[in-house]
Amino acid sequence: MNDMRIVERTVDTHDVKIDAKDVNVHYGTSHALKGVSVAIPDKTVTAFIGPSGCGKSTFLRCLNRMNDTIASCRVDGLIALDGEDIYDRRVDPVQLRAKVGMVFQKPNPFPKSIYDNVSYGPKIHGLTRNKAELDEIVESCLKKAALWNEVKDRLHSPGTGLSGGQQQRLCIARAIATSPEVLLMDEPCSALDPIATAQVEELIDELRSSFSVVIVTHSMQQAARVSQRTAFFHLGNLVEYGETGQIFTSPQDPRTESYISGRIG
Amino acid sequence: MSVLLLLAVMAAIGAAGYIFCRGRVMAQVGGNPRELHSLPGYYGWNGAIMATLPALAVMVVWLIAQPLILESRVVSHLPEATAAEPAARKLAMADIRRVASGLDLAVAGGAIPAQDVATISPGEVRARLGTVGVALGSDVTPETLAAAITWRDQARSGLIGRSVVVILVALAGLAYALMATKPDFRARNRVEKVVLGGLIAASTVAILTTVGIVASMLSESFEFFGMYPWTEFFFGVTWSPNFSGGSTFGFLPLLWGTLYITLVAMLVAVPLGLFAAIYLAEYASPRARSVIKPLIEVIAGIPTVVFGIFALITVGPFLRDWLAQPLGLGNSGSSVMTAGIVIGILNIPYISSLSDDIINAVPQSLRDGSFGLGATKSETVRQVVLPAALPGIVGAGLMATSRAIGETMIVVMGAGAAAKLSLNPFEAMTTMTVKIVGQLTGDTDFGSPETLVAFALGMTLFVITLCLNILALYVVRKYREQYE
Repeated sequence: MNDMRIVERTVDTHDVKIDAKDVNVHYGTSHALKGVSVAIPDKTVTAFIGPSGCGKSTFLRCLNRMNDTIASCRVDGLIALDGEDIYDRRVDPVQLRAKVGMVFQKPNPFPKSIYDNVSYGPKIHGLTRNKAELDEIVESCLKKAALWNEVKDRLHSPGTGLSGGQQQRLCIARAIATSPEVLLMDEPCSALDPIATAQVEELIDELRSSFSVVIVTHSMQQAARVSQRTAFFHLGNLVEYGETGQIFTSPQDPRTESYISGRIG
Repeated sequence: MSVLLLLAVMAAIGAAGYIFCRGRVMAQVGGNPRELHSLPGYYGWNGAIMATLPALAVMVVWLIAQPLILESRVVSHLPEATAAEPAARKLAMADIRRVASGLDLAVAGGAIPAQDVATISPGEVRARLGTVGVALGSDVTPETLAAAITWRDQARSGLIGRSVVVILVALAGLAYALMATKPDFRARNRVEKVVLGGLIAASTVAILTTVGIVASMLSESFEFFGMYPWTEFFFGVTWSPNFSGGSTFGFLPLLWGTLYITLVAMLVAVPLGLFAAIYLAEYASPRARSVIKPLIEVIAGIPTVVFGIFALITVGPFLRDWLAQPLGLGNSGSSVMTAGIVIGILNIPYISSLSDDIINAVPQSLRDGSFGLGATKSETVRQVVLPAALPGIVGAGLMATSRAIGETMIVVMGAGAAAKLSLNPFEAMTTMTVKIVGQLTGDTDFGSPETLVAFALGMTLFVITLCLNILALYVVRKYREQYE
């Protein structure tokens, strides 16, 4: 843990963006998530760490109701975005997902051009009035995703032709193009090499100024490098949640200490 | 020894080869298979292959060569004039073969004692063979009888020779395999090479068949174009074959009928099949899918002639009474519409089944990506899944088109057999396949253009479907790697 780069950890605002209270998730008969309560602040990077199968990805997918697409999945408890229950009957999960964007583990650009990949969200949500505005959104999102310089001359070549790291940054550009309020990232760097990982991590830190970012990661170094808040999950329980530096330097729970020092996992 | 018996003997030698070679190599290493290069079974298989394969090859060559050699030997019995003229020679040979096999039957049935065959007189042959059920059209000439007797003798000695040679080759192969069987002999590699050869042979059969079909059609087509100018065939607008001569074979009405009916069929099949596939792949619950998919595929199992009946007595009259007559477009029950709609229905399961597989092959991660951006299911299907699956769907459509072009029975019963060049979809028209059948059924003379035109039509049809298939392959290849 010596290579840990302690980034600026002061949290800019303390407004709670997502407030989860006593969330339980069942897949059929198995109890995947047990009574998780977390308050995720705005304009912050929050990392979820923990061993495989601990429920961190499941919890992440609860935050934009991606679990709805799994028939056997049942979620109860309260998850509020800006104080509104996202599991309320009146909430359209499709609208919710436009506000809570998601980046996946494996880069999954659509088999379309780079331009069409980024403009996909704005187009289906009718965010622009004309082509010029759309062009502007595409350019600004690609710039935010630190991809603009690499692709500006080939916006109309297929997105699948990019390298793995570029594809993942394209997916991030695609996700921020719908101007979400929260960006969920499910192990966004696990399929990338160290250089691409560093680029994406840098990007995540920049995104913090505009969004609340929640990232699931297997790499504790990554959590330490990019996040201000860290939550440690173990066997479906939220064991410990707090300021990242504190979690890594003086964990309160013995399980957290065992995990970050490599004894369990 | 008959071929069947010979095969049985070869199988027995092969089995012996397996047992001997396996036993021998196991004895050489004192029963410890670890010292062998290959598993003991491979040595056994090597023995079996070496014993049977060369012998089988010799037998096949013999079976093909024997009649040719016999023919060249008996041809000396025939009069000069007959032997020189290919067609007459063919007929004479058929006679000889018939008499020879008749004699065989007569001997087997006891009508002629075996020792009398050589001395039988030409005059009594016909009556004697008649008693064992071999009817000859005319009395046998002395030359034919002499040739038949020679043929029969030679064939008998050939039969014995064949058995002896084949069994000797089998035994030699077995001996060779036994000698080669040593612990460090690479039996596994040898056996796998033979298996590879078998796989290649299997794939070659299909290709050779295609080549054979094309070759036979080509030669007949060239014969046709020798009798009838190709410009009038490809650009003529009147199709009126007349078996008593003076026919015009304008191919355009048939091409138009074929394309028109295929177009209607595809307009029915592609949307219905594709929508069914989208429902099955994206919306249906697993339970609904397990019921609906087999039900759609039942259509593929219905014989086309049953579809023809459906076209003839249900769809045709319905379209005539409710659409064609009220709109004043004609009063024929047989029409392009009738055949097209029914062929389209027939093709729904092909399109839906293939498209369903293709849509399912689109990675779930693409759907997740789209859902994650706040797209609805329908937007995801239209903008992500279908574009990704498009090459496969186009391929499925072109395959179904090829099938629709080749459809015959439904066209006969649904669209009639009148070759017409008209835009009205409620008029009876016909297709190339129907005319091929029409020109080749009944009493036909394979020297007249009226019959040979069928081959020219077949060739053209083949070229059209081949081009479609190549186009399908090209489309699928070009876009295949998009999401990989």
